Amino acid sequence: MATQIIMDHSGDSRHEFNPADAAALLEAEQRFNALMREGYTAAVRSPTGDPTVIRKFDPKAEETLFVPRFVGG
Amino acid sequence: MLRQLRRRCADAARRVLAAWQRFREFGFHSEREARGLALLKAWLSREQLAQYRQYRHFDVTGCHSGKRYRIRHGVSMNVCELDSLGRPLVGRCFVPRDNLVAGDVMLAQKIALETNEHGVLLVAKTFSPRWRTIHTEV
Repeated sequence: MATQIIMDHSGDSRHEFNPADAAALLEAEQRFNALMREGYTAAVRSPTGDPTVIRKFDPKAEETLFVPRFVGG
Repeated sequence: MLRQLRRRCADAARRVLAAWQRFREFGFHSEREARGLALLKAWLSREQLAQYRQYRHFDVTGCHSGKRYRIRHGVSMNVCELDSLGRPLVGRCFVPRDNLVAGDVMLAQKIALETNEHGVLLVAKTFSPRWRTIHTEV
C-alpha cells in the first residue's frame, strides 16, 4: 500500500491506495495534481532518508507528503 | 474558619503543582499534536531525532548555501540561522499557510530548508533571536 499524507489542521490526513489498482492509482494521481494546483509541495524520502521534492506524480512512491505553501511569519 | 480556608488553598496549590510537574515530566499532547510529532519523528534523520529528543530542537543544512539552521519546537519564530560556532545569528520566520500543529510546522520548515532554501528565505521575515544558548533537556 502507498500513502499520501496531507498536512492539515487535524495533524494530517492520510489516503492509502494500492499502486497495483489502476483506478486507485488514477485517483491518487488526480489528488496529487489537485494539491499541486492548490500550491502544496510534494515530498518523498530518498533511500538515504533525505526529503526530495517531486513535481510529478510518482506511482512508485510509498509515501508522499504534501506541505502547504509558506508565508512570512 | 480562616485556618480551614488556608489549608484548602494549600491543598489546591499542591495539587496544581503536582499536575504541573506531571505535565513537565511526561508532556501533554492532544491527538492532533501527537500525530504531528509522530510524523515529524518519522521524517527526521537519526541525528536530528536524537538532537530533538534531547534538546527540543534540531539542526538542518540549507540545500543551496550549506548554512546551518536550528529549528526549535514551536509554530512561529522558531527557525534561526547559526553562525560557524553554532550560535544563533538571525531568526528566519516562515510558516505554512494553513494552521498546523507544531510537529507539522517543524517538518515543513525542515523540508523547505533542505529542498528549497532560497525559495523559502524569499518569503521569510527576519527577527533578532533571543534564544537561550543553554540547551534545555526534555
